[in-house]
Amino acid sequence: MGYLTLSKISKQFADAVVVQDFNLSIEKGEFVSFLGPSGCGKTTTLRMVAGFEVPTSGQIILDGADITDKAPNQRNVGMIFQAYALFPNMTVVQNIGFGLRIRKEPEPAIKERVAEMLSLTHLEKHADKYPYQLSGGQQQRVALARALANHPQVLLLDEPLSALDAKIRVSLRSEIRMIQKKLGITAIFVTHDQEEALSISDRIVVMNEGREEQVGTPFEIYNFPKTAFVANFVGTLNTAEAEMVDPVKGIVKMDGVQFESANQVEGQKRGDRVSIAIRPERFSFASEQKKANVVDCKIENITFLGSVVRIQITIGRTKFNMDTFNNPFLELPKIGAVTQVTCSREAVLILDRQ
Amino acid sequence: MAQIALPASRRSTSTVSAKKWLGALPFFLFAILFLIWPSARLMIDAFLDGQGRFTLDNLAQLFQNQTIVSSYLLSIQISAVTAIGGGIFGFFLAYSVTIGGLPKPLRSMLITFSAVASNFAGVPLAFAFVATLGRTGFITAILKNIFGVNIYTAGFNLYSFLGLSLTYMYFQFPLMVLIMAPALDALKKEWREAAENLGATVFQYWWHVALPILMPSILGTMFLLFANSFGAYATAYALTGGSLPLITIQLRAQIQGDVLHNPSLGYAMAMGMIIVMAVSTIGYIWLQSRSERWLK
Amino acid sequence: MNLLSWLRKVPLWSGFWYTLGVLYFILPLYATLDFSLRIQRDVISLLAYQNAFADPGFLKTFVYSNILAVITILFSLLLIVPTSYWIRLRLPEARRIVEYVTTLAIVIPAIVMGFGLISVYGAPIKIPFTSIQLTDSLLNSPVGTNFIVIMGYTVLALPLMYRSVDTGMRTIDVRVLTEAAQSLGANWFTIIVRVILPNLRASILSGALLTFAIVVGEVTISSILNVPAFSPYLWLMGQHKAYEPAALSFASFLMIWASMGVIQIVTGGRAQASVAH
Repeated sequence: MGYLTLSKISKQFADAVVVQDFNLSIEKGEFVSFLGPSGCGKTTTLRMVAGFEVPTSGQIILDGADITDKAPNQRNVGMIFQAYALFPNMTVVQNIGFGLRIRKEPEPAIKERVAEMLSLTHLEKHADKYPYQLSGGQQQRVALARALANHPQVLLLDEPLSALDAKIRVSLRSEIRMIQKKLGITAIFVTHDQEEALSISDRIVVMNEGREEQVGTPFEIYNFPKTAFVANFVGTLNTAEAEMVDPVKGIVKMDGVQFESANQVEGQKRGDRVSIAIRPERFSFASEQKKANVVDCKIENITFLGSVVRIQITIGRTKFNMDTFNNPFLELPKIGAVTQVTCSREAVLILDRQ
Repeated sequence: MAQIALPASRRSTSTVSAKKWLGALPFFLFAILFLIWPSARLMIDAFLDGQGRFTLDNLAQLFQNQTIVSSYLLSIQISAVTAIGGGIFGFFLAYSVTIGGLPKPLRSMLITFSAVASNFAGVPLAFAFVATLGRTGFITAILKNIFGVNIYTAGFNLYSFLGLSLTYMYFQFPLMVLIMAPALDALKKEWREAAENLGATVFQYWWHVALPILMPSILGTMFLLFANSFGAYATAYALTGGSLPLITIQLRAQIQGDVLHNPSLGYAMAMGMIIVMAVSTIGYIWLQSRSERWLK
Repeated sequence: MNLLSWLRKVPLWSGFWYTLGVLYFILPLYATLDFSLRIQRDVISLLAYQNAFADPGFLKTFVYSNILAVITILFSLLLIVPTSYWIRLRLPEARRIVEYVTTLAIVIPAIVMGFGLISVYGAPIKIPFTSIQLTDSLLNSPVGTNFIVIMGYTVLALPLMYRSVDTGMRTIDVRVLTEAAQSLGANWFTIIVRVILPNLRASILSGALLTFAIVVGEVTISSILNVPAFSPYLWLMGQHKAYEPAALSFASFLMIWASMGVIQIVTGGRAQASVAH
């Protein structure tokens, strides 16, 4: 049993079921992300941990204690909001010390803890400023310091970076992760941005329509998605309809073109309709003879994306995207040219069709 | 080249900006002719005696003449009472339809009513209160016939301080509702959640977070209510016919009246009124801008 | 849902204040209506209304006040719409000053305004520092008096009218709209008549209705300048009659209610209040 356990959590609003039979166990010190599109129930699940929503059924256990029905102000969890939610009438120092003052800690202890938090988040220079005098990134660091000052058992982050500029988002993301590791605090991070989830987490919970689709490390989620939803939501992906030719060897046929896959799906038989998925970066031009999956294609379009060049190709009658690293000294094929591309057997995923 | 070109370009930009200001000329001309010059003229007249000579007597009278001092005090008292009373009542009403949990249709009903009531002043309002709380008024009769309480023998009088205050309240608290409702809307749900998350009770949230955030807005609007009733003339005049010596009523009696007739003293009173009005309006604007900074 | 859980969901605290507020609003109006219907002993009748409307003084003063209201509205719009447009478009540095001026109109009480106008325009107008007389006192002729009254009303309505129009200009972003129209080749006339004004309809209408409510209810300036306006007439009537003034009070409440209702509809609930009692 983990440090924080959510078992069979469901939440129903009026007549909409938002979270359904959600199970998760988080270890102490782990950084877990809830990833999914808006309306998938990730924020609602987080708010149930914070106590702002009460589950319709199920149980939340934190460090051995059942907190399912506890009021938010009776739990010791820290929450970071998307819109910072700093108290505008208080300075940075007063904001950070708010929770401690509510708990009636002695004034010197508050002072010491606030100073500690200021240096942890590099806000010493802004100690006496008001929120409206700070940038978004600084405000979110204050919110982080405020949430951590109370020594929370769990840190909850509800899309904390969504309101920030791209650059700040990346730097604050690594700062959050660094602080989390340093303090060894358990954290749940809600986001709809797959890159964010992949870069920051120990484990990712991909959610869809109130259920967990897949739970795993970023590596597992990206490379071995279990469902079409996960495969599509995390990273860009080419998917196509195909027909099972040989379930044992993993051979499928798409538009008459044969693909070999390393990934076998149980319960499939010859002639079944299946979905195959190939990530764009797994394709390469077939310069030398490879063993498997060398296919003819036509170059349709080339888009320059900076470090990557995205090439649109047609295999059979289906359009695929193919990414190659931008190499200024390598000539790209011409649009309209007919050539051959290849991908390894491991790159061809056969997905569950639900 | 640059040295020669510079003065020329400077001249052209200054003619352009002078032309730009021409567009606002009618407005400023109007303001000077019908707002600024007439009020300035009264202020100047306050320093002149009947023969047009400079004097400080009129101003000194403001502090020496017992009736004038007490009429200022009466106006200030009634304005303060209705500003604070109307402010508190209006605040709770605005609360009830914003974060207080009442359904949406009740809100638009209250806002429309408030817009009507804050514009329903003067003679019709006075008559409405006579019909309500006058000697034979509707509520007076109900209290007497059903509850057996005669408020008039118990000391109530509509044409008194309390009666006029109740009448002023009719346009005071709706104004508070109209200004406070948006301010209460601007209270973010996350502030409450953040406070709860940090261990605060509902009371602690209101005491440490919500009320301090709203305070500039509440106090500022009370200043506005103060000014609103301090400058009021029509309602008091229509209700009491001048028996309650408010500053506005005394002012008119000094300038146009038959019994008291000392226009110069009246002008000094007008100047005193403008000062009180200016102080409370500045208080309103200053506090309101403070609150906007927070609630942005 | 059972009764107990339903009761728990009703916000009692809010409900209490709301009920109190509604009573405060309704009772005086109900009392006025009730009183106005009882001119005949033991019979509910509209006789008081018939009497009031049949009084020649009513028609005269009511028409007079309405004409003044219309002229004030037109003059205010003519003064404020171009000014506000020009400030938004070309002269943002003047916005502060114009706002101070409109605030000044709140600071100066109506009664002080009225006497200020008398003291300036009640005397012959001379060229400054000379004895050359330009005109006789404006207040000696009815036309001049009406002109001064209209100017006074315009000042009273200025804060609300300016705020209405300026808010409208801000929400439609006149600058972008003007530039877009210019880039499509529209001339100034077309821009103002076909682009700006139609988009300002709601705020112009609400400014106009607020001004209307102010002018028809105005007592202070009308009575110190002694013009035959509706509200001073109503007051005078109240000195020797009981039921007819109540009837007219209730009728004028209905009129304000109608104007505010229209404003609520056209502006989608952004209500405003005048600050001139």
